[in-house]
Amino acid sequence: MAVAEVGAAAGGHIHPPPDTFIKKYVFSLDHKVIAVQYFLTGGLFFILAGLLAEIMRAQLAGPNNHVLSVTTYNEAYSVHGSAMVWLVIIPLLTGGFGNLVMPLQIGARDVAFPWLNMISFWLFPPAGILLFASFLYGAPQAGWTEYPPIALQMPFGTSMWCMAIFLIGVSATITGLNFLVTVVKMRAPGMTYTRMPLFVWATATTAFLSMIATANLSAALAGLFIARTFNVPFYDVAKGGAPVLWQHVFWFYSHPAVYIMILPAFGLVSEIIPTFVRRPIFGYKAIAYSSAAIGLLSFMVWAHHMFTSGLQHWEQFLFMILTMTIAVPTGVKIFSWVATLWGGKVRLDSPLLFVLGFLSTFTFGGFTGILLASVPIDVHEHASYFVVAHLHYVLFGGSVFGIFAGLYYWWPKMTGRLLDERLAKWHFWLMFISFNATFLPMHWIGLLGMPRRVATYDPAYAGTNLFVSISAFVLGASMLIFLYNALRSAKHGEIAGPNPWGGRTLEWMIPSPAPYYNFKDIPIVLSGPYDYGKPLPYANVSQELAKVPMH
Amino acid sequence: MAANVHAISDAEYQEVRGQRLLGFLFFLISDCVIFGDFIFSYLYLRTAAPIWPPAGIERPYLYLAAVNSIVLFGSGATMHYAMEGMRHNRIRQFVWFTVATIILGSMFLSGQAYEYTHLHDTWAGSTFGASFFTLTGLHGFHVFIGVIFLITVLIQTLRGTYTQERHFGLTAATLYWHFVDVIWVALFFMFYIY
Repeated sequence: MAVAEVGAAAGGHIHPPPDTFIKKYVFSLDHKVIAVQYFLTGGLFFILAGLLAEIMRAQLAGPNNHVLSVTTYNEAYSVHGSAMVWLVIIPLLTGGFGNLVMPLQIGARDVAFPWLNMISFWLFPPAGILLFASFLYGAPQAGWTEYPPIALQMPFGTSMWCMAIFLIGVSATITGLNFLVTVVKMRAPGMTYTRMPLFVWATATTAFLSMIATANLSAALAGLFIARTFNVPFYDVAKGGAPVLWQHVFWFYSHPAVYIMILPAFGLVSEIIPTFVRRPIFGYKAIAYSSAAIGLLSFMVWAHHMFTSGLQHWEQFLFMILTMTIAVPTGVKIFSWVATLWGGKVRLDSPLLFVLGFLSTFTFGGFTGILLASVPIDVHEHASYFVVAHLHYVLFGGSVFGIFAGLYYWWPKMTGRLLDERLAKWHFWLMFISFNATFLPMHWIGLLGMPRRVATYDPAYAGTNLFVSISAFVLGASMLIFLYNALRSAKHGEIAGPNPWGGRTLEWMIPSPAPYYNFKDIPIVLSGPYDYGKPLPYANVSQELAKVPMH
Repeated sequence: MAANVHAISDAEYQEVRGQRLLGFLFFLISDCVIFGDFIFSYLYLRTAAPIWPPAGIERPYLYLAAVNSIVLFGSGATMHYAMEGMRHNRIRQFVWFTVATIILGSMFLSGQAYEYTHLHDTWAGSTFGASFFTLTGLHGFHVFIGVIFLITVLIQTLRGTYTQERHFGLTAATLYWHFVDVIWVALFFMFYIY
């Protein structure tokens, strides 16, 4: 039987394999190609936004440097933050890993709507171009949050920012919708919800958040755009509007967005740990349901970003308690991972190293998060470097370490070749040490009172800032090791084989890189994926392919 | 892919239909959130304002909007009978009731255009105007898209794309039309009555 007929017979997608270059690599409908497109585009924006950060650190290396003007500095941190959140972390985790792994793990041939998938990718590069091109027209200067009234007074670049993030919002909403339908409707026979791999649980929750919260973001940005362009007085105090209204609608998206940026990382950590300690994951259901709980709670905590914006006391109290509640499901996950590691046969390959880095730095960021959730402390620390440190511990120490863990883990599935382990370990240790050297001292200068978003500062903080800047340059340089390793693997990387790590989820049951239709026969799932030591719980897969390699 | 729909078996069609239906429902949910955002903004500004509508601003004329609402709800009824026709394979009933729906939808849009051109307030004029024009404008845009959607599926029906068993496009158009109706109920109460 021809491949296309197999696809039709098993209810897969009925589009034939593409034959032209454009259909194969540019306007591709294949989720694996789209994932690579996301990785390449997101990687490019990671480099650009990272360079912005390095330039800012050059400015901050001394208390009165003149590397950047004050205006350019404001533009740099605004675009750096916006790009890292919307053009790097969210597209890489959802668009990249979600696309690459989720359909494979549920035993599907593609996502539910491949066409929509292609559209949502192609909304992404124009958004990035708009955002970076805003430098030509006066980039936004009010940070990635763009609070009015400043956001209303800035030149045209802020409108470009609105358009760019609007495009990203539409793209993420479509992806969320698409993934959620895929998970609900396209799981392989026998894969009940409690047999789904934990990455799928995380991706489904993220998809739900993207669908709801990001739709709200698009609406909010349209509101800001018309307020700027047509003087619609939503945020104009003189006409009865309220700047705080923007903060509400923005954070009603952007707090769930924090979990859009971390839940997929939680998911891939839950995949990597059992594989590298050869033990069943501890508390499968606890991890799965805590993802859902985090997803729901994330809609009820947005105003903790606004403790200093004039909330009522009862509101502050409510949001403080709800915010601290989120630590419970998060703690459930952390403890379950630690319990999985406990007594396991730990194999310290690069994916697990990055996961351990993730665990330590993210947990630390979580602790400072609980501190900041407390109203009295937040009122004191708000808009200081303490917040910058907290944010980077969760977004860099959490999401970016997660992204690298996932890249090292699924690189063989994506490309068919392994990355070099020695270089990977150099990358990890250099990145881990310089990351902590960069962001840990920021807690102290924040507590001492250095405000964030300033281009010059009190010379009393000069020594620490110089140390931070040097560490930040090392951190940037550590990324070059990965870049070299990735390029090198194309020619010199060891051929991976279908299952180099001995994983038990469905993506490892097929050749690497995955063939066009993923599964020749749709697999049948007999039980959950993490029972190490028992026979594989699948029928209809090639047992030969899935054999655990001898390391 | 619509061209492929007739080439697959009934079981496969049901599977594809299930996916599309769920996807379309999710789309409507996220669309609901977009309206929800502006409704929240309206309620927030309204709560913050000492008097409402703000001083010097008059509410738009209730009776015109009431008539317009009846036109829109009537279009919901004709849409329903159109789908009943399709379900019982009475294509003529489907076609004429869909034509009626399109006409009623266009009448609603004309009524709205008349209202817009005869109001003194603008969306830049006051917070009431800002919410009113943003929300009713967004809704009107949805009605406009709905009319285009209905014209498209009507043409496709006349060409024989849809059958009694396989007509997901019509189901989607109907759901969309009723969704737009329901949103109007909320807007009508917000701006004209409450």
